[in-house]
Amino acid sequence: MNKFLLILFFVMFVNTSLLSEDNFEKGLRIAKESYESTRGYVDSESDQMMILVDPKGNEVIREISGKTLENDDPNDGDKSIIFFNKPKDVEGTVMLSHTHVNDDDDQWLYLPALGRVKRISSSNKSGSFMGSEIAFEDFSGNDYRKYEWEFIGEEEYEGEICYKLVSIPKYKNSGYTKRIGFTDKLLRPRMIEYFDRKGELLKTLYFEDYQLYNDKIWNADTFRVVNHQNKNKTIYKWVNRELNVGINKKDFEKSSLLRLAD
Amino acid sequence: MNFEAIIEKYTVSILDHRIKTLIAILLLVLVATAGARFLEAPSGYRGFVESGQPNYQDILNLEEKYGMIDTLSFVIKPNNGDIFQKDVIQLIHELTEASWQTPFSSRVSSLTNFQYTTVDDDDINISDFISDTDLMDENSLQELKSLALQERTIVNFILSESARVSFVNISLDVPEDTGFEDPIEFANEQKAYFNTKYPDIFVTVAGSAMYSNNFQTTARSDATSMYPGFLALIIILSYILLRSITASAISLIVIFLSILPSMGMAGWLGFEAQPPLIIAPILILTIALAHAIHILSIALTNMNEGMDKKKSIVESMKINFTPVFLTSFTTAVGVAGVNFGKIPAFSEMANTVVIGSTFSFILSVTILPIIFMLMPIKTDGKSSVVLNALSKLGDLIYRFKLYIITFIGLASLLLINLIPNLYFDDDFDSYFDRVDNWVKVKNIVNDEFGSSFFIFANLSSEETDGITSPEYLKKIDEFARWLETQDEVVTVTTVSDIIKTLNKNMNGGNNEFYSIPDNKPLNAQYLLMYEFSVPYGMDLKNQMTADKSESRLLIRLNMATSKESIEFNERTDEWIKNNLQGYQTDGVVGIPIMMPYVYQENTNGLMRGLLFSFSFIVIVIGITLRSLKLGLISIVPNVVPFILSYGILAIFTNIVTFSHTLSILVSLGLVVDATIHFLSKYKKAESLNLNASDAIQYCFKYVGFPIIVASICLFSGFAFLLQSSFQTNFILGGMCALIILIALIIDLFLLPALLLIFRRRNVV
Repeated sequence: MNKFLLILFFVMFVNTSLLSEDNFEKGLRIAKESYESTRGYVDSESDQMMILVDPKGNEVIREISGKTLENDDPNDGDKSIIFFNKPKDVEGTVMLSHTHVNDDDDQWLYLPALGRVKRISSSNKSGSFMGSEIAFEDFSGNDYRKYEWEFIGEEEYEGEICYKLVSIPKYKNSGYTKRIGFTDKLLRPRMIEYFDRKGELLKTLYFEDYQLYNDKIWNADTFRVVNHQNKNKTIYKWVNRELNVGINKKDFEKSSLLRLAD
Repeated sequence: MNFEAIIEKYTVSILDHRIKTLIAILLLVLVATAGARFLEAPSGYRGFVESGQPNYQDILNLEEKYGMIDTLSFVIKPNNGDIFQKDVIQLIHELTEASWQTPFSSRVSSLTNFQYTTVDDDDINISDFISDTDLMDENSLQELKSLALQERTIVNFILSESARVSFVNISLDVPEDTGFEDPIEFANEQKAYFNTKYPDIFVTVAGSAMYSNNFQTTARSDATSMYPGFLALIIILSYILLRSITASAISLIVIFLSILPSMGMAGWLGFEAQPPLIIAPILILTIALAHAIHILSIALTNMNEGMDKKKSIVESMKINFTPVFLTSFTTAVGVAGVNFGKIPAFSEMANTVVIGSTFSFILSVTILPIIFMLMPIKTDGKSSVVLNALSKLGDLIYRFKLYIITFIGLASLLLINLIPNLYFDDDFDSYFDRVDNWVKVKNIVNDEFGSSFFIFANLSSEETDGITSPEYLKKIDEFARWLETQDEVVTVTTVSDIIKTLNKNMNGGNNEFYSIPDNKPLNAQYLLMYEFSVPYGMDLKNQMTADKSESRLLIRLNMATSKESIEFNERTDEWIKNNLQGYQTDGVVGIPIMMPYVYQENTNGLMRGLLFSFSFIVIVIGITLRSLKLGLISIVPNVVPFILSYGILAIFTNIVTFSHTLSILVSLGLVVDATIHFLSKYKKAESLNLNASDAIQYCFKYVGFPIIVASICLFSGFAFLLQSSFQTNFILGGMCALIILIALIIDLFLLPALLLIFRRRNVV
């Protein structure tokens, strides 16, 4: 009987703590759960294609392939390598990034035509990725630690009830003042609106083609970005994505860049 | 039934159906006036260009690729010393940050956020040129100064060579049909804030958006500063001239009911409220006033002579219907000639005047006689002093006709000799030279930077990713350096400058590597790296296309007149033809390149318009007066005023702008009016078989006074435009006032003298 009471108290306590959760805490909790649902991939490999579409409908295609390595240290960011394949002139260029949660990322670029590895400044994560409408900072946009969160309600998006979350970048050089996004009940971000430094709607990122990888991780295989100001569009696709493939961790060191490039 | 009988029957019939007529006319006026709310806010300089204009098409093509060319710029100039002082740099830093908040801004570039590359062995750092303003001391400031002055993309773009003036440039991407008000309002708030915070540093707003917005602000300030005064003047004038409060009130009613629906129709037709449109109400007002005075003064004269009220107005209508119609018509035809020009803002003004002229005719022959009948009119029964004076003038002219002709003939010959000194030129940078604040900024910028204008040139490699090829980069560099040798150009920057800087920095900052590598992949990889390193709003999208097949040069222009700009453009096209085979380019593109062509086409068009309007008017006069002789004589008083006024202009200046040309078309129809009134009365006198002296006396009695009155009104109307802060309105007003004044003198002296001489020969 005492045991039962104890359990009852415990359940009540947990319930009240959940009930007393405010919208900031709730937003953060959802963002954290969403982020954590994508963790545990160990590493991944994929080919990526980017289509840049101008307002007249002209298209430019960029092709890259990439590897990422999950960081065991929960207080640090993941590592990634990007191989540039198209346009032809930049074929063989490799970029290695060590992302960090609170500090600037470390980035190195191997330029085959120069035959040298250069370390590049990376406090500028707000810049465009290869002339697209996607910024560097958008790729790590799901990392809950980089934003202040607020849950502002539930709304239907594409026929599903979603959490509506406002997130404000903590990173001072961010190109945004605010994001408003929908995350569905499977904790998958479905759409994010970005507001620029003057508080105007800049662009919308749509997460499309969700696939369940290794029976546990949802990844959107298409990012579709519409810039509302310059009317450009970018479609970013992941193909042949594989998780937990067993990539050598040493590949993600600066010293391996030259070797990897060949 | 002859024409006069028809008019008599018509006038009597509208007077009998006064209420029905009144209601019908007022309804028409009301419906037309309702359109006023659709008058569009001016689109700045773009309203001065037809959409099909080839140079404008070049600008639109460029904007499609690289975004809008319009910018707002903060001009920063410390009262003492140069930019490299701690508080000045701090101001620039704060202002740069604040500028990102500008509505519709797409990028902000300044000395502090200039993307500066530093190298440390294999570490490449591309970041803000100045980010930490707290740690600056005198040494670091001097170092920054010398570094800045070595950057060719800084000097003369955001920092003057003397380092005394700096810019914070805001690129705008304003949606179609949206003006620059919001960004400008924001910029002015910033200016006010920084002026208070840093009282020793001059900060103000300039840039092409500001220039463009001047059209709107001057239109508004012109309207508010000129209209009330002008109105007061007209009320006083019409009272002095008609010496009857009721008659003045009637004139004012006719005037208002002519202006309101005209502006309303301008709204229905989707016209823009550009500064030239400000002239339209003033012109319509004078036209309507002239009609009212012609009709009323004769009706009042008739009443003074003992006629009853109805007969007085019917008789006046009989005499005036034809000339009122003719003058409305010729004014409309004259002004309509402006449509041969190529500037929409002026065509819209002209067409509004055409509409106003039509309304003033309709109202003068409907509402005016009706109100005249409805209102109590008192006359003093005394013959006017002016009429006596005019009668004396008639005598004098009869006696001295040969002297008058000789004197005016000689003066004309003398002044004609000066006219060949005149040449066409224009300077659209001078449009707002009458706006004090603008001129102050303009002078600072022009002194330090050559001019405030940028132009562009797009060079297409005609292949995807072609701009990184060494051949292309060397060509574009050659093009840029050639442009820099031209007097009209201050400095140029291109993608080749970026590549050269990167090549140097990737090679340890060694100046020997400040060159274009002969290696396409390397150039492409440099650009890729550069793009990875720059933040939001600092990318290369404003200077190269996404597929990297085309890039553009940014050119800071020196001050140049229209003529020089056209020569420069032609020289550049020639150079391109000889040196840039295999590449596609529209040549140099921009507002300062486009406007001279707009003026040139416009002036040529206006000349054709003038020819059209003039011949049309002469024919119309000949036909209505049914006299070849009078038609031919009418040419003299309608041409001489223009010759004399251009001769007088040549005493003061050599430059004829398109606004001078415009003044001929605007005043032609008005000058003709007086001639028509005079000649139609002269014809009437001839039909009464009066002798030469009496015929002239008859004309002076019936039209001398109204002609003087109408001319005074027109003269004052145009003279009022001298207050305009819009240079074109100022010139137009001055020229038209001069022409009207000379025309009055010619009509009062030369025309009667000529009529006398030709009459005598006929008799002999």
